[in-house]
Amino acid sequence: MGEAAVRLDVDEPVISFRDVHLSFDRPILQGVSFDLGPGTTKIVLGGSGSGKTTILRLILGLLKPDAGTIVVDGTEVSLLDEEAMRPVRLKIGMVFQEGALFDSLTVGDNVGYRLLEERELDEAEIEERVREMLGFVGLDPFYERMPSDLSGGQRRRVAVARALVARPQIMLYDEPTTGLDPITATNLTDLIAKVRDIDGVSSIMVTHQLRDAYNVARTFMLRRDDELEPSMVEDFSILEGTAFLMLQEGQVRFEGSPHELRTSDDPYIKEFLS
Amino acid sequence: MGIGDNRCPVATRTLTFLASLGRRFTHKVMTGVLAFQDYVLLSARGIAAIVTPPHYTREIMAQMDSMGVGSLSIVILTGTFTGMVLALQSAASLDAFGARPYVGRLVSISMVRELGPVLTALMVTGRVGSGMAAELGSMVVTQQIDALRVLGSDPIRKLVAPRILAGMVMVPILTVLSDAVGIFGGSLISVTSLGLSWEFYWRSVGQTLVMNDFAMGLTKPVVFGFILTSVGCFTGLRTRGGTQGVGEATTRSVVVASVVILSSDFFMTKLLLAMFPVV
Repeated sequence: MGEAAVRLDVDEPVISFRDVHLSFDRPILQGVSFDLGPGTTKIVLGGSGSGKTTILRLILGLLKPDAGTIVVDGTEVSLLDEEAMRPVRLKIGMVFQEGALFDSLTVGDNVGYRLLEERELDEAEIEERVREMLGFVGLDPFYERMPSDLSGGQRRRVAVARALVARPQIMLYDEPTTGLDPITATNLTDLIAKVRDIDGVSSIMVTHQLRDAYNVARTFMLRRDDELEPSMVEDFSILEGTAFLMLQEGQVRFEGSPHELRTSDDPYIKEFLS
Repeated sequence: MGIGDNRCPVATRTLTFLASLGRRFTHKVMTGVLAFQDYVLLSARGIAAIVTPPHYTREIMAQMDSMGVGSLSIVILTGTFTGMVLALQSAASLDAFGARPYVGRLVSISMVRELGPVLTALMVTGRVGSGMAAELGSMVVTQQIDALRVLGSDPIRKLVAPRILAGMVMVPILTVLSDAVGIFGGSLISVTSLGLSWEFYWRSVGQTLVMNDFAMGLTKPVVFGFILTSVGCFTGLRTRGGTQGVGEATTRSVVVASVVILSSDFFMTKLLLAMFPVV
């Protein structure tokens, strides 16, 4: 990526949840509170139905909480209507589960969708930016292809490119590696680390794939001979910048560093990690 | 009070059953009222998006092409055969009064005022309304609608408004075509099977149809076009439950739109007959 994303005040959380409650037929979130610092990554773990994806939908304003406050980049979003949410959403890149690419558009048009909608750049500039993004995720030759021609892993990478094209400050990943083989999943976690390390983008990754969650925490991009290569840190106690949040039935069960998660005595966490 | 309770068990069970029936009925009514409220809101926002900028011109043209050009063959086929069968049936009835020469008059009035608009709307509902529900339903279950919102687009403006506008423009045009081929089909039967001449048939058509007929025949399809597209979009956007939900939404859109078209046709006819009487 060419330009670095806009960095925020170091002391100010990029995303802040305070005592957030949400219920439909049953309670989904019950008093969830956490902060996401600038340039850091929060990995949200939990079983199916624990409310992980709901957190992302609340940040994006696709759902509204019953109670509590959600602040995104200094803006309280829980009461904003669709129109007022638009500038907030422009700061966020979202990678949906399965990609959620538009079937009727080519890969290039999918990636450039937001730029085409904004109409601030001309077509040549948009194509250049889109090709740059597709190159970043390693899919430059796929510009003219349709999403139906892509594999599951390629669809997720195109989704990452689409989310990155407007240079967001915050990236949200919803189960980005679910259903992928281990090699493709590692390629994707390397890509998530690359986005974090090169641009300092703050991110939240929701997953129940523990191996991939650890990979994101342990992978760092190192420059060797003008080439960026992923490198894995083996010692969990020195990992920084990544925190884990574990949900159980809509409540925060654990929040802490990768090392604290691995050494936790909580029987639920031990069972989850085993 | 449990089943094993021996204080008037039959009366207790009957009361429990009636109470449960009442709760279910109330729930059904409430769900229906809320769904109707959502439908009205969606339609109002769709219309507002049609009359206010920005517009997605490319989407509108694509929908008009898909709905108009794509439906040409079925509309021509159904229109022609309807006109032909109408000529046959009306001749059989009119012969009893020695009124066979009125076949052209009856076919043209029936096609323009009633059958052209209704049949065209039903055919387009089956072909296009169901497709809209399936397409939007698939977009819901694959989170493409959420993606649209996140990427800064209004799904109503981007998806619903172009479809409603295309329906309100293309269904009347298709209806005119259906009317024309229906009257032509009637003329084929009149000449080949009923012993009437071309000149007589077409002269009676020309003498029969007046502006009031066209006013009624062109008002209805605008409303039908709105109904079939708005119902298709509404059922599609309310899809829940994966691919099974998409199938259910598709079926529901055709059933609901067809019933609403046919029932609204009655009320519109009552109203339009008062505004544009048969002369």
